[in-house]
Amino acid sequence: MTRVTTTWTTQGTTSAALGTLAAEGASGALSGERGIVYLSAGRVVHVESAFTPDLGALLTPSGAVPPDGWWDAVDRGGTQHRVGHRLVDSGRLAAGALEVCHLGALFDAAYFLLAHDTRAHRFRPGASHWLGAVRSVPVDAVVRETGRRRALLDRIWPDPAIDTAPLTRVPDARAAGLPVRRGRTLTQVDGVRTAAEIASALACRTYRTLVELRRLAAAGLVAPAPPAPAPSVPTADPAGGVWDDPDTALLRRLRDALEAL
Amino acid sequence: MANLETSLKECLSSIDGASAAALVDYTSGMALGTLGGGKEFNLEVAAAGNTDVVRAKLRTMELLGLKEEIEDILITLNSQYHMIRLLKGRGGNGLFLYLVLDASRANLAMARHQLRRIESELEV
Repeated sequence: MTRVTTTWTTQGTTSAALGTLAAEGASGALSGERGIVYLSAGRVVHVESAFTPDLGALLTPSGAVPPDGWWDAVDRGGTQHRVGHRLVDSGRLAAGALEVCHLGALFDAAYFLLAHDTRAHRFRPGASHWLGAVRSVPVDAVVRETGRRRALLDRIWPDPAIDTAPLTRVPDARAAGLPVRRGRTLTQVDGVRTAAEIASALACRTYRTLVELRRLAAAGLVAPAPPAPAPSVPTADPAGGVWDDPDTALLRRLRDALEAL
Repeated sequence: MANLETSLKECLSSIDGASAAALVDYTSGMALGTLGGGKEFNLEVAAAGNTDVVRAKLRTMELLGLKEEIEDILITLNSQYHMIRLLKGRGGNGLFLYLVLDASRANLAMARHQLRRIESELEV
């Protein structure tokens, strides 16, 4: 952690930047066009992306953790970067279940950051995520897995726009006769929502949702909505790395407080 | 409370004849955790390959219109059992536990019983 903030505006992709940081054994946060990767001693400890629901959005709607319990853990553990520990210590979640969910969210977010060769913006040495240490994964394992997932998705239907664009149902597309999960996914396609929002609505892992959506696209039932003025999901860092990365926990608490008014 | 690593360790220590265990995401074929195996038995390859087994069975059930869920899939080799147990979970985790057992030492009913207990620690 002897480095100061490094800007990657002129250098290569997020995966290339990650490879360099892993070789150095760096700890900190690397922001890319589509999210942030958190490293500790050169290993990936967390990834978040605006294109995927975060851990809270996966755990609370399914009832695995009550929303109160989640926010209590965020409030009490957030500033010490120990939210994960608090969930387990308070008995709300088994340690193994937390690790499984955390890895799921990590690889889901990593897919968006790394699979489409987007660029890295900057690296903040020493920055850590409020969730705290749950499990770490080697950088090359994350890069390899995202590449494999991209290949798997492209084999189903080779249109990456399905992953990020608002999706629309092709006229006359019906859920009848489809497997349960695919039918349920189709009913959430409304011309406005993106894959991430559909995954959130179903409280389902994003990659699974992407698989179903690409299958629906391959069957000619779903297509990216025409590029109307429909607002898309904002990228994590629209100002190109000029601003500090927002404190997500604080922003979520703010949003909840505003909604409660 | 058990984490992923201790859950896998428990599979090998508490189940007679168990020599390798893996927790696998069957939407992508990725092993979230592995224990045992080695040079002569690559668990990453086993994870990816057995993902195809699970997918094929799920697909067949879809085609048959079966609304049941798979509890486990047992593959009997000459000297080994390979057991695939699908985890439940409200969010539809899409995970299975994969276990390699020595057929001469394993007791399948006991193995299932132990696995049920271990997997409850991993379910959300």
